[in-house]
Amino acid sequence: MEPIYIKATSSSPEINFEPDNNVLRIIGESYPENSFDFYAPVISWLKATLQELPELTLDIAVTYMNSSSTKCAFDIMDVLEEAHWRGIKTSIIWRYDRENERSYEMAEDFREEVTFPFEIEALST
Amino acid sequence: MDLYDLREEFNKSGIMMCFNGPFYHSIIEEIGNAVRNHLAAENITQAVLMEVFAVYIELVQNVRNYLTLRGITRPEVAASIITIGRSGVGYVVSSGNVVMNADVESLCLRVDEVNAMTRDEIKSQYRKQMRCEVKPGAMGAGLGLLDIAKRSSEKMTYAVRDLDATSKFFTLSAYI
Repeated sequence: MEPIYIKATSSSPEINFEPDNNVLRIIGESYPENSFDFYAPVISWLKATLQELPELTLDIAVTYMNSSSTKCAFDIMDVLEEAHWRGIKTSIIWRYDRENERSYEMAEDFREEVTFPFEIEALST
Repeated sequence: MDLYDLREEFNKSGIMMCFNGPFYHSIIEEIGNAVRNHLAAENITQAVLMEVFAVYIELVQNVRNYLTLRGITRPEVAASIITIGRSGVGYVVSSGNVVMNADVESLCLRVDEVNAMTRDEIKSQYRKQMRCEVKPGAMGAGLGLLDIAKRSSEKMTYAVRDLDATSKFFTLSAYI
């Protein structure tokens, strides 16, 4: 399995996989110039990795995403959902900004889209 | 050069910030930071601040994606305007850019369509659109106007003005 690491910029989040505990972290804000170009390698990596691993947790701490990043986040969850149905233990920890109730609503909206474990936690600041 | 009239116009329309020029990604980021810093000094919640920022991002990226898609790159045509100002007790974010004649009608129809939706309809349309495959080469997910509507306190408004035989100037405003 290949590792994945993408450094954060002011408009795109850090992407980092921790092989010791099978956690994929996405941290930062997401409004890149082209969200599809930014997330395409992440989605390909995820699809390949979920062929090899028995479990994977997505730990996401993205307090703002633009609309096209929202679409990419949905596609990522779709890949996890599909893996879940193949018997892989997938889960999400979604961290929201407690000072912004809209970021909690966004987490709730996403939770409705999946059937595997989805925890919503306040971001520790 | 006398900027007094411009300043008066800004004051009269409640405009706090304005940028007129090419919407390069780096500029979008810089102005975005400036918007957040400026609003941080106002007595508003983090939630409202981020709503204004989010609407700003959707508007400028919409414009940038449209101009790129249509290959409109000549600086004097591609230069667009974004303003952030006060409106009643809230804020108004407006973008202004050149739109080809052939695209104006569908654009206005799309805004009318979103404006006619209830909150629940906006939410369900958003979920539906999120499930759609993105066409190859597309730069957006077709969610921008729905995202703006989700965050708005009032309906969007627009203005269209004739420019020349092939294009018009389109202004879109969203209220938070």
